[in-house]
Amino acid sequence: MEINFTEADIKFRDEVRAYLKDDYPAHVRDKQNNGIELTKQDMIDYHKSVSAKGWMGYNWPVEYGGTGWSSTQIYIFQTEFGLAGCPPLLAFGVSMVGPVIYTFGNDEQKAKYLPDILNFDTWWCQGYSEPGSGSDLASLKTKAVRDGDDYIINGSKTWTTLAQNADWIFCLVRTETTQIKQEGISFILIDMKTPGIEVKPIITLDGEHEVNSVFFTDVRVPAENLIGEEGKGWTYAKFLLAHERFGIAAVGNSKRSLQMLKNVVGELDNPELSRKVANLEINLTSLEFTELRLLSALENGAHPGAESSILKIRGTEIQQELTELFVEAAGEYALIYPGPHGHGDNAKPAGPEHAAQSVSKYLNMRKTSIYGGSNEIQKNIISKHVLGV
Amino acid sequence: MNLNYSDEQQMLRDQVQKFCESDYSFNKREEILKSELGYDLELWKLFAELGWLSIPFSEENGGFGYGPIELSVLFEEFGKVLIVEPYLSTVVLSGSLLDKSNYAEKGSLIESISSGQSQISLAYLEEGSKNDHTFANTNISNSGSGLALNGTKALVLNGGNADKLIVTAKMDDNLTIVILDSNLDGVSINSYPTIDGQTCAEISFENVEISESSIIATGDEATNLLENSINLATLCISAESIGCMTACYLKTVEYTKGREQFGQPISNFQVLQHKMVDMFIESEVCKSLLFKAMLECESNESSKLKSVSALKAQIGKSGKAVAQDAVQLHGGMGVSDEMSIGHYLKKLIAVDALFGNSNYHLSKYSQM
Repeated sequence: MEINFTEADIKFRDEVRAYLKDDYPAHVRDKQNNGIELTKQDMIDYHKSVSAKGWMGYNWPVEYGGTGWSSTQIYIFQTEFGLAGCPPLLAFGVSMVGPVIYTFGNDEQKAKYLPDILNFDTWWCQGYSEPGSGSDLASLKTKAVRDGDDYIINGSKTWTTLAQNADWIFCLVRTETTQIKQEGISFILIDMKTPGIEVKPIITLDGEHEVNSVFFTDVRVPAENLIGEEGKGWTYAKFLLAHERFGIAAVGNSKRSLQMLKNVVGELDNPELSRKVANLEINLTSLEFTELRLLSALENGAHPGAESSILKIRGTEIQQELTELFVEAAGEYALIYPGPHGHGDNAKPAGPEHAAQSVSKYLNMRKTSIYGGSNEIQKNIISKHVLGV
Repeated sequence: MNLNYSDEQQMLRDQVQKFCESDYSFNKREEILKSELGYDLELWKLFAELGWLSIPFSEENGGFGYGPIELSVLFEEFGKVLIVEPYLSTVVLSGSLLDKSNYAEKGSLIESISSGQSQISLAYLEEGSKNDHTFANTNISNSGSGLALNGTKALVLNGGNADKLIVTAKMDDNLTIVILDSNLDGVSINSYPTIDGQTCAEISFENVEISESSIIATGDEATNLLENSINLATLCISAESIGCMTACYLKTVEYTKGREQFGQPISNFQVLQHKMVDMFIESEVCKSLLFKAMLECESNESSKLKSVSALKAQIGKSGKAVAQDAVQLHGGMGVSDEMSIGHYLKKLIAVDALFGNSNYHLSKYSQM
């Protein structure tokens, strides 16, 4: 066993740090450091900058234009970005649909979609959940009916993150009604400009427009947009979920938030809150080492499976508790609601800096234990696949 | 970065596991507990033959030169079957203190531990210590012919079985560590059972005559030896707790699969499944903290106390939670003393009480 990174890993980490210091778009970094919401253009500038550095395919094999990095390098890359306050890279293209396309797509599809993902020329969104299909995803009803060289799609998707910005959506659709609901699902790519698609915002508790409903009315999609085989979509969907395993713990981002919290709480002379912070720090350490243990096993040739659901459960619990403790630190000032984008033109009201966004962030983070397979679903997975119950 | 056990470490685990599975059934443990000694001398000799009693000792003292990782492996496996043999007191607390000391006679003492001949206990706590390991009202004064030891030590693990005692005392206001035979005149030992099936003792010293040559260390050196030894022991019982927690969730899964109510195995009920998953997760996150702590105990002098405190703070909370849920999910059987499951709860309660409980270590951690 060796607790330290190798010299090569340290050199790599320094390279990532140098990029974040020297080449990362300054206007984006300034906003991050001042807690200002990033616009669509900021997000594009951020991703384009990573693309220009050649790092967009950070978790892809070299043959598809990826970096071919080891698990340790991916961990370092994600952690350093988190520590620097960068939001995680949008997963929908590079971590979700990209690997599905290069694993199950045909050569034409690879040539058509992969370069745009790596260059961030297309913004992807994910069409999985439906109004009647949340945790029971396989019960989805959005229908695709073959008509000549096209499919005609009718139905609706919901909780679609940043669909208002997206150029393309990858969807699970029902191409056949079968006895076993997992069969008869297909995986298809849809241009968001296609006639018959309507995007309606859903405003979340923090006042933010992050998620949407997407409605499909007689949307005509070329059959060549189908990935793999018709009726095998569920297999691809599961593959996709498994691929997005690491990084979900958000250790780097949480470490940064924890340091900010410690700075705030250090001034408060509140022993009870200090104990909670110490406890949270221990939880975060245990999460970090859980991720490192899984990484080590992976690099040793093992295939940690459902154990990694721990990362989702504990990672999101910690993200949520961090925001809860910021609210606690804000005291009475937690009462003030500045809106999703801060105070805008209004003068900043009285109260400490850290209090201003504390409740908005707290409300925003409630989503984390619900999305990506709710934490209860993660427990079902561990129960079935690890405990064998 | 590599958090995989080496082949050698894995072999040690396999060896210990094999012994625990084939030679340490719960019934066997019950028999051992009923015996006068409270542990099995034959097994202790076997431990010596297998080399386990020399694991942490440096090679110059005839040991394997192994460290915190190997000890953690051993204790994790011990925890799974609730081994009651006095490894912690003799080998870890007393043995590692001697091993790290500059004491002239340490070679023969360590040899007597390694060979299974000798039981040595560390007497450092007193009533009023309040987690300060260096607290001592016990004192050493000059007497006509040599030195005289006076005072009372509390909670001496395995003290009743020890042929030698390592005792902390103040001499001219300096913390001093001495070693003496337990059968000297003036030593009175009152041994009593502990909640986890072992024994500890209250030991009084009344004008016990000792010589200069019994002094192991004084001053800062004594403080460091004591602190290191207790820190290593804290790591060991934390690893042991993880073994206990692992056994708790595995036994609970097995039990709920076999127990039928309402016409089906109770493991079908999601509320129980999620409880068992919580037990599993608690064990795993403790294990992650163990990895950090044992690696830093091995190679990072400056942060080893902090990472052990983080571990112990978590172990106290998680251990109790896991074992309580294990008892709960066993239903009425869980509170029956005949079943093993409740004995894991007792062990985990004992672990929290030892070397500073969860609250103490959380406070210590937040001040470091």
